[in-house]
Amino acid sequence: MGKERWTALFLIMFTATLATAAGLLYSTGSADLTTQDRQPIAFSHQVHAGELNISCLYCHRYASTSPTAAVPTVSLCMSCHRSMNTAHPEVQKLVRYWQRKEPIPWVRLQRLPDFVYFTHEMHVKGRMQCADCHGRVEQMHGTPRAPTYEMGWCLTCHRQREASDDCWTCHK
Amino acid sequence: MDLKRRDFFKLIGVTTVGSALPGCEREAHNLVPYLLPDEEIIPGIANWYASYCRECPAGCGILVRVMEGRAKKIEGNPSHPLNQGKLCARGHAALQDLYNPDRLRGPMRREGPRGEGTFRPIGWEEAFSLWVSQLKAHQNRTAMISRPVRGTLAEIFSRFMKAQGGPLVLYDAGAAVNEHTANRANFGIDQWPHYDLANSTFLLSFGTPFLDDWLSPVSFGAAFGRMRQGRAGMRGRFVQIEPRLSLTAASADRWIPIRPGSEGLLALGIGQLILAHGRSQVEPSDRRKFETVYRSHPMDHIVQQTGITQDEIERLAEEFATASTPLALGGGPASSYTNSTITMQLINGLNVLVGNIGRPGGVQIYDGVQFPGNDATVQPASEQTLLEIAQAFDQGRYSLLQLYQANPLYSLPPSTGMARLFMQAPFIVSFSSYLDESTAMSDLILPDHAPLESWGDHPQNGLSGNLTVGLGQPVVEPLYDTRSVGDLFLQASHHLLDMRQDHHPLPAHPFKDRLQANWQSFLADQTSESGDTFDLAWTCRLQEGGWWTERANVQSKISSHAPSDYEPAAFAGDDKEYPFYLSLFPAMGVGRGEGSNRPWLQELPDTLTSAVWGSWVEINPKTARDHNLRSGELLRITSPHGRIEVPVVFFPGIRPDTIALPMGQGHWAYGRYATGRGVNPMSILAPLFDTRSGALATGATRVRIEGTGQLGKLALLEQRHEDKGHELITIGRRQPT
Repeated sequence: MGKERWTALFLIMFTATLATAAGLLYSTGSADLTTQDRQPIAFSHQVHAGELNISCLYCHRYASTSPTAAVPTVSLCMSCHRSMNTAHPEVQKLVRYWQRKEPIPWVRLQRLPDFVYFTHEMHVKGRMQCADCHGRVEQMHGTPRAPTYEMGWCLTCHRQREASDDCWTCHK
Repeated sequence: MDLKRRDFFKLIGVTTVGSALPGCEREAHNLVPYLLPDEEIIPGIANWYASYCRECPAGCGILVRVMEGRAKKIEGNPSHPLNQGKLCARGHAALQDLYNPDRLRGPMRREGPRGEGTFRPIGWEEAFSLWVSQLKAHQNRTAMISRPVRGTLAEIFSRFMKAQGGPLVLYDAGAAVNEHTANRANFGIDQWPHYDLANSTFLLSFGTPFLDDWLSPVSFGAAFGRMRQGRAGMRGRFVQIEPRLSLTAASADRWIPIRPGSEGLLALGIGQLILAHGRSQVEPSDRRKFETVYRSHPMDHIVQQTGITQDEIERLAEEFATASTPLALGGGPASSYTNSTITMQLINGLNVLVGNIGRPGGVQIYDGVQFPGNDATVQPASEQTLLEIAQAFDQGRYSLLQLYQANPLYSLPPSTGMARLFMQAPFIVSFSSYLDESTAMSDLILPDHAPLESWGDHPQNGLSGNLTVGLGQPVVEPLYDTRSVGDLFLQASHHLLDMRQDHHPLPAHPFKDRLQANWQSFLADQTSESGDTFDLAWTCRLQEGGWWTERANVQSKISSHAPSDYEPAAFAGDDKEYPFYLSLFPAMGVGRGEGSNRPWLQELPDTLTSAVWGSWVEINPKTARDHNLRSGELLRITSPHGRIEVPVVFFPGIRPDTIALPMGQGHWAYGRYATGRGVNPMSILAPLFDTRSGALATGATRVRIEGTGQLGKLALLEQRHEDKGHELITIGRRQPT
């Protein structure tokens, strides 16, 4: 092969590698596919929040009283699954955690930086719906990672609803 | 295809780099829920608990912010009368005691030979029964050395050791034993008076480091603020007399660099002048005694010994005697010599002479609060007492040593022979939380909970003008497999019941129950609480962090005894071979060594030199230049008992014939942050003690210095330019106005 062919091949491979890399990095930000986002139990919001129509606050019960919404305690899950759907392999995983007295190590999908002060309580009191920020959770089959919560996105909503856009409000 | 070597390598290179990219995974964070919800915890919302600080004997009230079962921040309790919402750095750093990675996590048994520091973890069953069997075997031959404790824990320790048949020695290197002994001699009291700085108009302080480290710097700092800025039109004057410019001296109107050891003579001279000018307020019946003492040395002798001019002494006496509310204090360097108790007595005598006892702005003596563990038996002991214990072990009178959060092996100079106790005592059991130097020599360790995991109470030993009993509660569940030392002692005492003829054994309740019982009978006696049930009163006290009154009862009739005769300070080393005085002071953060394993305290820059994470020696720039020393050079300091090498800091605020070093570094155990850092200046001290109290005289060792030519390792936060020939501070002589 001639020198030009080799150069072309080299360039194509280089570009392809870069594209793969960029794609991979991008995908780790948005999909539930990569290993690190896989939850220890394949919990389905679609089943619980959708089909069974359980209120968000039933499980994420501190959203109206605390800066953090919190994930439900294992005992809360067990309050139903003690007797419900116990044949399902994922439910059996849950029961095994409970019997071992081991809390479920859910993978955290969202973490705001330390310089951002966000309170769920204020937003729930402000009569926002969970879906306004978190999307149609009742249609999600897993525990998806929402797109990154960026300041511009927060500010848009704040300005539309005439909530404070003072720096000090969120950057205490 | 024709794959040339060069192209092959290019391909390989790109592929390799490309294949590495998917490896850029981010670390997964976990969200771990509770198994069962906690009734008191809402995730994201903090609970605040009131307690009291146990980092030093002052016992300031604290509020601890706890988030999801973890202590996050400690603040001062605004309701507590001693500190009124303020808190010093050591109190804040107590978090680094609770979460210190070097904390002992369970009982340990020594494995190798003593001194090697090798231990293996054992279970509580084994540890407890081993301890009890030792107690049985060494009945009437047991001694216990503990940090100063008060309240219910002190009561338990006291009664336990009485039944076990042996002394309980409460020891803290910074306990101001000389001041305490002098107060007992002059006024017959064990508790601290309330030194009413806030209402004083002239404060004459002989070295008292009340803004650095003396009794309760937090409350004195607040009082000093009120003294200077709390009264319209009255600022109050403050003179500090000491060989080295401490932080306290830096806040004074005048600093008088007296020759070390002669503070007592200066007090004598001032008293002499007060008596001579007819300004004394002493009862005529006592006047003769005071005159005998204060006139015992002529003024020119005083001038010659102290290095202070007669004009200056007369000025001090005049200002002190004519001030509307004068106050004299002594401590710090003035308390570091062999004649310090006498010096303190002479200073107390100055207060009697100007008649400020029991008056606003003066020395106010209150009745102590009647609470268990608040009497003469819980007063701190001197180093001499520790050595007597060591001697008793030598003679075979004692054979079991119990240690509770005390570290005499580090705090006492090797020249005293303290190490022998730790090498030779047949059995040593420790209840401390760290493998510090002393605990590393023990045979059995039964670690206590951290203070933030413990119940406790703290009847205040005077100091503030209120009767105060602090109440401490656990703010977190115990992190490790430790046990409350109060529980252990109560349980052990129950096991030893059959061995004893003692008719008042301690009941085997948990420590918390014992503490609550004490509070129940205490609160029942307080008329203000009689309306409430105990449960309600108890909850209120827990919320407040203790119990206190508005104002305590002043003891109206104080018999003031005249001070003892003056004797000059003795020094080790003759002044030709060892021309320098050595002044040691507790470092701002790490203190006398207890704080060295808390990084926040190591990080705290020394206020005057800005040094962090190490040791330094302060030298007058003139002296440094005379000895051709550079800033930062490693200086060899030699005493008759040893030598150390420390980096030099040029320090204008010190006599040219004196050098000063901070205590607290130079640990050879005590965890990763403390070990192998800086020097322990105690290691070169001579075994000299105060002649009246037996306290170690840290300022009584003379030294000589020589440069090594090498630079030492010292981190300073500020840039210093001494080497470049221009000084930031120039020293000149000013005519007195």
